[in-house]
Amino acid sequence: MPSPLLTLRGLGKSYGSVRANHAIDLEVAEGSIHAILGENGAGKSTLMKLIYGVETPDAGEILWRGAPLRVTSPAEARRAGIGMVFQHFSLFDTLTVVENISLVVPGTKADLGQRIRTLGQTFGLDVDPQAYVHALSVGERQRVEIIRCLMTDPRLLILDEPTSVLPPQSVERLFQTLQRLKEGGVSILFISHKLDEVRAICDRATILRAGTVVDNVDPRGHDAHALARMMIGHAMPEMAHARSLAPGEVLLQVDRLNHRPDDPFAMALADMSFEVRTGEVLGLAGVSGNGQAELTRLISGEWTLPRADAERVRMMGRPVGDRGAADRRELGFAFVPEERLGRGAVPDMSLADNSLLTAHRLGLVRNGLIDRTREAAFTRRCIEEFDVRAPGPEAEAGALSGGNLQKFIVGRELMLAPRLLFVAQPTWGVDIGAATAIRRRLVELRNQGCAIFVISEEIEELFEICDRVMVIREGRLSPSLRIAETDVQEVGRYMVGTREGTGGGDERAHS
Amino acid sequence: MTELPFRLRLIRRDGASRRAALLAPLAALLAAGLVNFLLYIAMGKDPAAVFYAMLVEPFVSWSSFSEVLLKLTPLLLIAEGLAVGFRAKVINIGAEGQFILGAIFAASIPVWFPEATGGWIWALMLLLGGIGGALWATVPAFWRVRLNASEILVTLMMSLIAAQLLNYLLVGPWKDPMGFNFPQSVMFQNDAILPTLIPGTRVNVALILAFVWAGLIYLYMQKSFQGYQLLVGGLAPHATAYAGFSEGRAVWLSLLIGGFAAGLAGAAEVAGPLGQLQRSVSSGYGYTAIIVAYLGGLHPIGIIFSSLLIAALNIGGDNAMVSADLPKAAVEVFQGSLLVFYLAAITLVRFRIQWRPPQEVRA
Amino acid sequence: MTSDLNRRGFLKSTAATGLAAALAPAIAHAADEPLGIVLVLPSPLGDVGWGHALSAGLDPIKAALGDKAKITVLENIPEGPDADRIMTKAVADGNKFLIAGSFGYQNGALQVAKRNPDVSVLHASGFMTAPNFSPFAARYYQATYLMGMAAAAVSKSGKLGSVSAFPIPELITSVNAFALGAQAINPKVEVSVVWVNSWFDPAKEQEAAKALLAQGCDVIFSNAQDSPSVVSVCEEAGAYVWNLNSSMQKYAPKKYLGCVATDWSPFFSQQINDHIAGTFKGTVAFLGVADKVVKVVDWSKDIPADVMTKITEAEGKIADGSLSVFAGPIAKQDGSEGVAAGASMDDAAIVAMDWHVKGVTTPLPK
Repeated sequence: MPSPLLTLRGLGKSYGSVRANHAIDLEVAEGSIHAILGENGAGKSTLMKLIYGVETPDAGEILWRGAPLRVTSPAEARRAGIGMVFQHFSLFDTLTVVENISLVVPGTKADLGQRIRTLGQTFGLDVDPQAYVHALSVGERQRVEIIRCLMTDPRLLILDEPTSVLPPQSVERLFQTLQRLKEGGVSILFISHKLDEVRAICDRATILRAGTVVDNVDPRGHDAHALARMMIGHAMPEMAHARSLAPGEVLLQVDRLNHRPDDPFAMALADMSFEVRTGEVLGLAGVSGNGQAELTRLISGEWTLPRADAERVRMMGRPVGDRGAADRRELGFAFVPEERLGRGAVPDMSLADNSLLTAHRLGLVRNGLIDRTREAAFTRRCIEEFDVRAPGPEAEAGALSGGNLQKFIVGRELMLAPRLLFVAQPTWGVDIGAATAIRRRLVELRNQGCAIFVISEEIEELFEICDRVMVIREGRLSPSLRIAETDVQEVGRYMVGTREGTGGGDERAHS
Repeated sequence: MTELPFRLRLIRRDGASRRAALLAPLAALLAAGLVNFLLYIAMGKDPAAVFYAMLVEPFVSWSSFSEVLLKLTPLLLIAEGLAVGFRAKVINIGAEGQFILGAIFAASIPVWFPEATGGWIWALMLLLGGIGGALWATVPAFWRVRLNASEILVTLMMSLIAAQLLNYLLVGPWKDPMGFNFPQSVMFQNDAILPTLIPGTRVNVALILAFVWAGLIYLYMQKSFQGYQLLVGGLAPHATAYAGFSEGRAVWLSLLIGGFAAGLAGAAEVAGPLGQLQRSVSSGYGYTAIIVAYLGGLHPIGIIFSSLLIAALNIGGDNAMVSADLPKAAVEVFQGSLLVFYLAAITLVRFRIQWRPPQEVRA
Repeated sequence: MTSDLNRRGFLKSTAATGLAAALAPAIAHAADEPLGIVLVLPSPLGDVGWGHALSAGLDPIKAALGDKAKITVLENIPEGPDADRIMTKAVADGNKFLIAGSFGYQNGALQVAKRNPDVSVLHASGFMTAPNFSPFAARYYQATYLMGMAAAAVSKSGKLGSVSAFPIPELITSVNAFALGAQAINPKVEVSVVWVNSWFDPAKEQEAAKALLAQGCDVIFSNAQDSPSVVSVCEEAGAYVWNLNSSMQKYAPKKYLGCVATDWSPFFSQQINDHIAGTFKGTVAFLGVADKVVKVVDWSKDIPADVMTKITEAEGKIADGSLSVFAGPIAKQDGSEGVAAGASMDDAAIVAMDWHVKGVTTPLPK
């Protein structure tokens, strides 16, 4: 029997007193798609970093085709034939796509640009090679990361939650791509918490819990509930189904909003109108990069409109288009942004200080001075109520795993007891247990009479929590669809543009 | 093979040891001492005499230590003010210009009212100095907030303009009519000179002011919500917009605080050891304070120590020139090498060096 | 050996600082204690210029006194609080003879003199006196007059220039005498001046020299620069150039017109002897050709022989007092009377001279 492509024996890594990985054994066969399943904080990301040379293990060894391998940097890993797409991206904002790629891949920009287009067409990863990265959405950035990895011709490709930003049609194509790569002899390590996906394409699944391997199974032989139980150690919480409420007062009204950004790569918004009422959840679906980022900033108040356009956005009945985020929050508005690090939270500050970011209104500041006692009390409550896995209020936000930080930010915003809540990507990168908890909190809040607006690229999530859903494409909105009267396929068609008969670029380019 | 042929790499340590952090300055001092010891031997100077004059005397001789305190005063004032802005990522490198404007504003009283008497004069001069420095900083603040012009460039340019303004006043309208055409103002009257704090030394009330200022800045940055907002702006600008903190206000506050502090220091310099407005008022305090601020880790308490260190190094250097017959260039070599070793030492506290044998990895 | 003494010196001084000031003289006059002499200079000590001339003035003293004197030269000390501290420190270290080598040290040096009556202070170019504080200056104008004669003889354009440090009387008189000397040979000669307001700023000095050359000046007077910047620019441009204090001929081997050199050693020796004898008196020392402090050296070979004869003659008359450079009639720049016919400026008027003579075209900054 030939030796496996990658073998881990007793691999371990500790950070101070925290054992992130302990005695990990793992075998990835040649030409397989291998899933790593686990909750946030289970040690998945650390394990991938050890394999990719970002971190060095304290114990154990890595074998590559049966021979010992010591990687001390990603460059060495790439040379050995290992590529990785991270959950947080490592692209330079001020460079273009092709410039970013040319940092790692040799070749002229013209050649690289051509290869980027070819790869994009082959694998459904459309991206303009000349676009500046800062103008790209999260989804587009991930595509660049995947393309960049594919260009170095890896033998093993590590993908950290690759599908979370792709529309259903593109996920299908990506899976086809992965299948083709597998047939070509490339093994894939696939980190995901979407159990259905794992079951659809993976040959093996290794389940991590608290830094150790708890099981190693063929996912096709288990149903999603069984896999979830292995992951979180107990049965999956059931989602409370939303009962319909009589629609109430309009708390968010967007009226004929047009916006043309200064940045030529940003999406212009055209003639957008919608409203969100008390006791309802409105969802916005769409492939990332179609104007979500721009709409988000205009609603959150991070961007403001000229005074003449104040009426374009109304909150709690008042025109706020020209007001900043602070003024809008004073009216009872709360907001969870898509990016946690650096926007929703300051990575280098403690959780307590991150509470202050928006919760300073709750009496945490007196006479201009910070009340440290109240600040810590608020933070402790947030950590407890929202099951944030952190040592305490003094933990640095940047040291938390993505899902835990998301729980903290969502918790902080919910504790503000908002009348109008706006959440972008509520469960992006959050494990299944926590995601369910967050969704349930949102529905509870709606039931208490809060108006909620959710942007998500995960259609299933929108179908789970929303009363109505809209689709954004190329800066325009679809009509709003009642969840009860539509289905994933219809929303998917709006996402790629075939529904309106405009000739969707995505469908035509790749079929 | 696109990799650089470096075989040494810096790896971030998982946790910086507190003991190592405390030992770093000592290690730097030892390393600099050793290198310079060899230099003095080669130059034929007595290393013991040099080191005594440079490192010990500033602390054991009262007259030397009083000079350290005098030198520390402007450095502490300016660096504390600048650190506020630096932590908010508002990079004001024009403290020298704001310092000069503070000196000019303060000097306006004795120049225009040379006969005035009363203890309020020096107090008013200090206040005017602070206002002058802050006013000078409004220009880069306005340009940054309204026109998005880099405050780094504008503050630097404003320093050059300030130096020319000082020149103009000293060769023109403010020149001492009895000063034989030398570019300097009249000598200030007694009430326009800061009261001496310790008899027999040049240490004046500005020293107390500098420590009070450091305390205020500590309170502002560690305890106040406004200071917190500035920190957020420096660490995560997008979080500022997200939370709805005003970026413009952060720029204004940072520059006004930095400008006020520099102006105050400038006023304390003309009303203190100088006693008249002259061109040598601009002696680089505004630039040295940038080093002081970063050496102190931009922390209000750290800056007290870094300003003490830099002041002592300067006085020690002068001592070594006078007492140990060391050339000025050699003094500067010592000061420079100490800083370099210190930066290397604190880097090693945070990172470890990894020796990477070449060609180990072969697929 | 020296350093050993050094350490002992300042250990003592450190101890003494805490003691009553009255004890200090006792230590200073201890039997074999060498006399500490300190020279403080505003610019880096080069091998040319003002600082070099002062420093060289101490060399014969070093040779004469040997171990009995300890000479320290502190260079590149900015005028202001730093200089005040350094002078204070030097005196606290037990040095008893201080030479403050720049006008800008005046306030600090005077304070040091007042606080330390046992210390003697010489201060360059100043106007204040105290019992133990003497300002000293050179009668440069006596020799710049001679250089003016030479310049007029070699100039083709009749336009002379001067790059000057500060518009203080000492330098103003040098320029005026230069103009008067030139007019003695060619009455039509004009002199332009650029004030750079610095003792040491090579870049600015070069710029100023280039500006004067561009105006057509073909002889340039580098007035009180401590760097050869002006001299080398002129050599390159092919214009005659000369300077003060110490010879810069090697920087302009072809176009060097000469040097108004200063030799301070006779004056310093005299003053130091007075100090040791306890007879030092604070007076204004204004020293010229007759005192052998000021002298022209390195005359250019391009000066016509007949003019050279006239120059030598004038030099003799200045030395014996029969020729006064500022003897009337002298017209001011604007044509009004500066010195009446038959009158002559006295020293008090010369050290305070704040006007240009006719023929100097640049207005004086007021």
